[in-house]
Amino acid sequence: MFNARDIRVLYKRELRCAMRERSIIINSIVLQIVLYPALLWLVYTGISFVQGQTEGFTSRIMLRGIPGEHQLLRQELEKSERIAITESHDPEADLRAGSLDLLMEFTPAAAEAAAQEGNFQVRLTYDESKDRSSMALERVSELIDRYRDHFLDQQGRRFGLTSQQLQPIWVASKNVASSRQMGQFILGRMLPVFLIIMLNIGCMYPAIDSTAGEREKSTWETTLTYATSRANIIAAKYLYVSTIAAVAGILNLTAMLLTVRSVMAPLLAGRAEDFTFRIALSSLPLILLVDILLALFVAAGMMILASFARNFKEGQSLVSPFYIAVFLPVIFLQAPGLELTPAMALVPVANVTLVFRDAISGIYNWPLIGVTLAVEAVCILLLLWLATAILRHEDYVIGSYGGSFGKFLKEKLLRSGRK
Amino acid sequence: MNEPVVVRGLTKTFYDESRGEVRAVQAIDFECRAGEIFGLLGANGAGKTTTLRMLSTILAPTAGSAALLGYDIVRDPGRVRQCLGFYSASTALYPKLTARETIEFFARINQLPEKKVPGRVDYLIERFGITTYAGARVDRLSTGMKQKVSIARTIAHDPPILIFDEPTVGLDVLNALELQNMIRELRGQGKTILFSTHIMSEAEKLCDRIAIIHNGRILACDTLANLRMSTGMHYLEDIFVHYVKGQA
Repeated sequence: MFNARDIRVLYKRELRCAMRERSIIINSIVLQIVLYPALLWLVYTGISFVQGQTEGFTSRIMLRGIPGEHQLLRQELEKSERIAITESHDPEADLRAGSLDLLMEFTPAAAEAAAQEGNFQVRLTYDESKDRSSMALERVSELIDRYRDHFLDQQGRRFGLTSQQLQPIWVASKNVASSRQMGQFILGRMLPVFLIIMLNIGCMYPAIDSTAGEREKSTWETTLTYATSRANIIAAKYLYVSTIAAVAGILNLTAMLLTVRSVMAPLLAGRAEDFTFRIALSSLPLILLVDILLALFVAAGMMILASFARNFKEGQSLVSPFYIAVFLPVIFLQAPGLELTPAMALVPVANVTLVFRDAISGIYNWPLIGVTLAVEAVCILLLLWLATAILRHEDYVIGSYGGSFGKFLKEKLLRSGRK
Repeated sequence: MNEPVVVRGLTKTFYDESRGEVRAVQAIDFECRAGEIFGLLGANGAGKTTTLRMLSTILAPTAGSAALLGYDIVRDPGRVRQCLGFYSASTALYPKLTARETIEFFARINQLPEKKVPGRVDYLIERFGITTYAGARVDRLSTGMKQKVSIARTIAHDPPILIFDEPTVGLDVLNALELQNMIRELRGQGKTILFSTHIMSEAEKLCDRIAIIHNGRILACDTLANLRMSTGMHYLEDIFVHYVKGQA
């Protein structure tokens, strides 16, 4: 059925044309290398800038009923460069209007808390929907904590006790993750998302160009006159689109790995040495396999849909729902605690991205990897079977069929299946 | 059955949502002899392109049969395409390939033995005067240049049978004349040529035999001289109208 020599000749022709097509070069190669590292750097720099701006604001707070025993706290608040004490006739209205950031009210402690003279309750009123107000809460809470520790320390000294002796439990945390593991954790969150996005973008243009693009350029009939089987023509096109998609994915991964430190620098300020962004060499074969499987899956889906279009524009609108459908499972990957389980191994796309995430961290759950690869292979075979069934219809092949993929499925495939 | 092209009862029926069943070609019979230009003359929608698309295996016939050099178009489509060169206004060139790459590619994919490819490509480039722009991409060529490359790619694998489906559509007078000369030259090389057109003067000048096709049926098929004799009319236009009105 297939002729390797003919497929090679056709594949070379497709690749040669693609490498001279500006839109394919830009979307499948240049964007993969440049765009996302640059975009991420811009986004993270922007976030750091906004955070810096928020931190630079002075918090406007109002004090109400501060007791004489705690005037030192007032002095501490006044000393802070980032806090300004202000007055308001209607503090709650001012908080909502954004002209006040926080109201600090002191009330005498009740019940058991009132046992000690000078015990007070502080109620902090703020507007969580405003960054400035949340920042004021953070600053004041920190200052109160420090003041309380200092106060307790002084009280303890009166009884001959140090603050350490007064505190029965000390909390000390230790992060056992190495800088490399920390880096792998971040890479595991980021890279699968970008792999899916970039592989989709990289695949979309060649998939449309090799199908709807041929109709638009009136080369489809020329292609149908080759002295080779249609199976060879489709196989060469499929290999070509899958190659570009896989290369797009790998290029993006490489670019992200090479630039991740610089890209993340604005966010990691002061903690950069805690992270080492490296992937174990042993995980590369599995990562490559994931990339190829995703490329084969996405290429098959996109080519089937794009082949119903008569021009590039129509192709883009037909392929877009598939693009979104492929991307949806990846959004759930960001949910905390989501792991590669037997159930997740059955979900296409999500399963391979979870395998990819684990591989970055050097985790290999071979039985589940096996299930994942099998599920993905079945999906690819199903898509190829669908493509073969569609190709049996002459009106589709010669481009005279005017309906959509859904209509074709309903009218031709399902109806003929029922017969 | 020794003729290079033999068509027997060839039929094509389409189903169209708005028109229902459309019988584009209805049980046509004809034969093309070696070294002749056989013309299919008909108005737009007469069934010329559908017939030629069936012969080139792009479309499968609903009924009937056809064989090119003895290869059946349904049972052996690969062999049929190997001995055939197909040229039409809708078979465009790949814009991003150069003229040389285009001819090379078509020679290879249409199964010209690998050893013969470089020599054949060089010959065609020289023969069609493509040398000066052989390295230029097709999308940068003029219409006339593209036309030459198109013919060169059609005969890149040196097929014995050639199909030209309305080849002069969209060409200016000079380019159309040049194309007609090339077709004559190919006949001189012993090629069997099927030529479809709706332009009477073109058929008159080029074709050794003419089949008048209308509503998917062949109404007459003979040399121009015999058609004149049997109708008593001189001009092909009058002969064409005579048969078409006769059917109506």
